[in-house]
Amino acid sequence: MAFSDTGVQAEPGSFRDPGNRVFHRNGEVLRGLDEGSAGDWRALAAADFFRDLLAAGKVCGTEELTPTPADLPWAAVLRHERIPFVSHPYEWTYGMLRDAALLHLDVLRMALADGFTTKDGSAYNLQWRGATPVFIDVGSFEPARDGEPWAGYRQFCQTLLYPLLLQAHLGIDFQPWLRARIDGIEPDQMRRLFGGTRRWRPGVLTHVHLHGAMQARNARASTAEVRAQLRAAGYSRELALATVRGLEKLVRRLDHRPGESYWSDYQRTCAYSVPDRQAKEQFVDRAVAAAAPELVLDLGANDGRYARIAARQAGYVVAVEQDPVVADALYRALRAAGERRIVPLVMDLADPSPGGGWRGVERAAFGDRARADLVLALAVVHHLAIGRNVPLAEVLDQFVALTAPGGSLVVEFVHPEDPMARRLLANKPDGLFPDYRRAAFEPLLAARGRIVRQVELPSGTRTLYQVVVHG
Amino acid sequence: MTHLAYLDAGSGSLIVQAVVGGVAGAAVAAKLYWRRLVARFRRQPTDRG
Repeated sequence: MAFSDTGVQAEPGSFRDPGNRVFHRNGEVLRGLDEGSAGDWRALAAADFFRDLLAAGKVCGTEELTPTPADLPWAAVLRHERIPFVSHPYEWTYGMLRDAALLHLDVLRMALADGFTTKDGSAYNLQWRGATPVFIDVGSFEPARDGEPWAGYRQFCQTLLYPLLLQAHLGIDFQPWLRARIDGIEPDQMRRLFGGTRRWRPGVLTHVHLHGAMQARNARASTAEVRAQLRAAGYSRELALATVRGLEKLVRRLDHRPGESYWSDYQRTCAYSVPDRQAKEQFVDRAVAAAAPELVLDLGANDGRYARIAARQAGYVVAVEQDPVVADALYRALRAAGERRIVPLVMDLADPSPGGGWRGVERAAFGDRARADLVLALAVVHHLAIGRNVPLAEVLDQFVALTAPGGSLVVEFVHPEDPMARRLLANKPDGLFPDYRRAAFEPLLAARGRIVRQVELPSGTRTLYQVVVHG
Repeated sequence: MTHLAYLDAGSGSLIVQAVVGGVAGAAVAAKLYWRRLVARFRRQPTDRG
């Protein structure tokens, strides 16, 4: 994917629209436009709504490189603001997916009112600056043609609306569905899930059943034909706007609030004493101060206590939490606080996001995106080593793989005598983990980096280590 | 000339947007189907000729 003579690295996730391609050069995120797209861009750059969206931070910062670099084969080249950490919709919480959908509709409504539209409607058009969504696909804007419905509606349904309906109406976690299908959930699949009285839930009859039936009935009609027929029948921009407003109203109604999960109350019930917690907070605070990290990865973030401590002295924090309910509560708290430097993500550390889409690289694997200057692995080793049977050495290898060379790792070892470890061990046969002990853990850690500090928590059953990993 | 987007918008997905667009939208959809029906009857004799 690299053109070595120009130093250009094509973004593997950007090939579907041949008229504009994202690529990287010298650490910058650039977008090349062909003649047609360059014309659309210049019209867009002069449009009031686009200036308003940029000023409000709803669209990622974008400027044209002038003059256009002569060594690049494009009619125009744009430079985009860098998103601190790229995440995928199947790593978002329910609240995040819903807010992303609302932002997409908001952007589209403003565009339509000013004579523009978006060519698509994908969840992948959005990214995050902390707990604030941002629309990144500037190449998606084009002048609207009168009499045409939104081309992105199907994609919006499949990657945003349907996952929300699944969760809000059926209580089914949407993340595995989006992770397994890059183009989202098909209307036909949704119809099977929403049979019987479920078809009367908000949004289902029209956006799922009618949509699916219309697709089946019009399977042989080309979109060019149908566009012409709709224009002739009087489809107008006002109708397109009414559809967007209807979708916004529906998505606002889908305010799913799940009940408590086992992990919701973890901070209170996990047997931490106040002195333990204070010692741990101090340790993390000092580690962050020493590392002065740009990117921090908090593995097993729970309610975000340590992510917040890290954010005080770090550029950006990615807070990974396995439980969607806990992660969503964290998102809502961060969003309410207007936090722009902590992004919460849902992911099981024993099953991190694999590469997806075309050739498995269109959507990069979590391991290929995460190279943190500081990794926090607090109270997670025992869950992986005992709860998921991962050998201790491999647990540490994974933490080190997520750390940039020369970066720091803060890891907590919960001794086998600790009440939490005992609870986990009670579910496994006696003697299954003979190596799960401090005397075996420390040499493994020392082999992977330099232990610069370690502290015994007052309870006496937990030890914290700060390690500078080998470069 | 009809402009086609890079993304296949889906014929059914275009029509259903008229239907969900309230009363005015439903009228557009009804008109579209009416025209299709009329066109089918009008075309038949010549199509077979």
